[in-house]
Amino acid sequence: MGRAIAAVVLIAVTMGRPEGRSLRVEAGQVTAPSAASGIPRTKEGKPDFTGIWQVMNAAAFDIQAHQARKDVPAGMGVVVGNEVPYQPAALAKKRENFEKREALDPNSKCYLPGLPRLMYMPHPFQVFQTPAQVTMLFEYVHATRYIYTNGTPHPPGHIDWWLGDSRGRWEGDTLVIDDVDFNDETWFDASGNFHSDALHLVERFTPIDADHITYDVTVEDPKVFTRPWRMTMIFYRHREPDLQLLEYDCYAFDHEFHAPTP
Amino acid sequence: MKSIVGALIAIVAIVAAVRLAAQQAPPPPKNPPPAGWIDPRNPPKEDPNWKPPRTADGQPSLEGQWNQASDIITYSIEDPEAERAEHIAISGQRPMIGRPIVDPPDGKIPYQPWAAKYHEFLHEQHTQPSKPEYLDPVSRGFQEGLPRINYQGQFQIHQFAGTVLINYDYHHSYRVIPLDGRPHINSDIKLWMGDSRGHWDGNTLVVDVTNNNDQTWFEIVGAFHSDALHVVERWTPTAPDHIVYIATIEDPKVYTQPWRLRVDFRRLKEEELWENAVWEGNQVEQEIFGTKK
Repeated sequence: MGRAIAAVVLIAVTMGRPEGRSLRVEAGQVTAPSAASGIPRTKEGKPDFTGIWQVMNAAAFDIQAHQARKDVPAGMGVVVGNEVPYQPAALAKKRENFEKREALDPNSKCYLPGLPRLMYMPHPFQVFQTPAQVTMLFEYVHATRYIYTNGTPHPPGHIDWWLGDSRGRWEGDTLVIDDVDFNDETWFDASGNFHSDALHLVERFTPIDADHITYDVTVEDPKVFTRPWRMTMIFYRHREPDLQLLEYDCYAFDHEFHAPTP
Repeated sequence: MKSIVGALIAIVAIVAAVRLAAQQAPPPPKNPPPAGWIDPRNPPKEDPNWKPPRTADGQPSLEGQWNQASDIITYSIEDPEAERAEHIAISGQRPMIGRPIVDPPDGKIPYQPWAAKYHEFLHEQHTQPSKPEYLDPVSRGFQEGLPRINYQGQFQIHQFAGTVLINYDYHHSYRVIPLDGRPHINSDIKLWMGDSRGHWDGNTLVVDVTNNNDQTWFEIVGAFHSDALHVVERWTPTAPDHIVYIATIEDPKVYTQPWRLRVDFRRLKEEELWENAVWEGNQVEQEIFGTKK
């Protein structure tokens, strides 16, 4: 079986599939059986993502392959094929963003970081689940995501939200989330990769086993990119006993004060 | 409700910027008090025979969406009536006049002498602060802390096996309250929203909140605490659509004795909590002090 999978992967890679599916995801999809054992499940039989999760990558710094620079760890990149397909004017803007990143990165003001950047910030997030809703709580600026899985549509738009509007559905064991209603003020990383308010995401959360989730996100924005493109990475479950989310309310860091207690 | 609360906060937040003369005669309230507010200091009788429904894992259920029904405004919790003139001048809205402090009986916070003086100073400063730290932290865009977040607006309670989750509308604040008896985190870690540990005492959810930082207030006009703040909350469902909330507040660095605050919560028709970005649009410090964000 293992050899057969390797062969499939090899063929997929050597053929350079036009939609650019990655080796990792292709492998993940092949090896994740539909009724995977060891995956926690809700009473309704859906994968239960309850727990505390975090990436182990450098995507928050730069979603593309990059070597280390000051205060930035090196990273293999999470963009499938590594290319972010900017339209020409947008590419110029991305380069300018990169040059002026310290001043221009919206996260330097500690704003809500937008999606999908929130998902791969170097801070843990916690998931709670009911049949109607997946709730994600983030340590970073105590952000929250309420992902409705009750069949409701996006509200009439357009609405300018930092974290968009999320509607989820189950495709087998994969939680598929459609996100629209973004503002144009967030970036994908600290390196100037950006989008407009026409951003549309499709996120796919697929359990690999009890402690790992493949996170795959398709990015679409006809005002900025020439075609849809994808990122893929893994969320790792925190297994430390009694671990809990703390706070990273960075907007208050420059405002420290203390009551003059004697 | 969401937009009313949001608008009110926005209006109250620019108090210092507009600097209206408080001594001018107050115009009549634009909105008469709605019927049905519950006075925390004179609450209705409870039905001792009523038993709350249970969640799937057997906890008394607090699940649903709630908002305070005690006519409380975060402008002032000690004596909102006394702040009426200024509040109307600033907001043009009917001042809410609920007084949540039920112990001591005079409804006032039992400050130590130095703290009473500092509170008086903050109160004087609140319309024209000389430094950012003399301005209400929530007006500056920071988190509310406990117990203030509970009388700020609507919130959703979900209960899971071993955990109570509270999602507040205002500033997307949340609390994860473990029920498994684990100890509090190290006291070196201070949090805006504190560290909560819960257990059930009969039908009452008791939440012990420690690890609070010293940067949150109870209201806009300057009621404060230190990082020795310890809050014990009691959440008791007393009728199908009613929760009685009583917080005992202790801080040996600031108060002469523990004091208690009561807020009654009423069930709301459930609606989706939509994004409530607070810090991102906050211009209060820029307007008052000319600082750049």
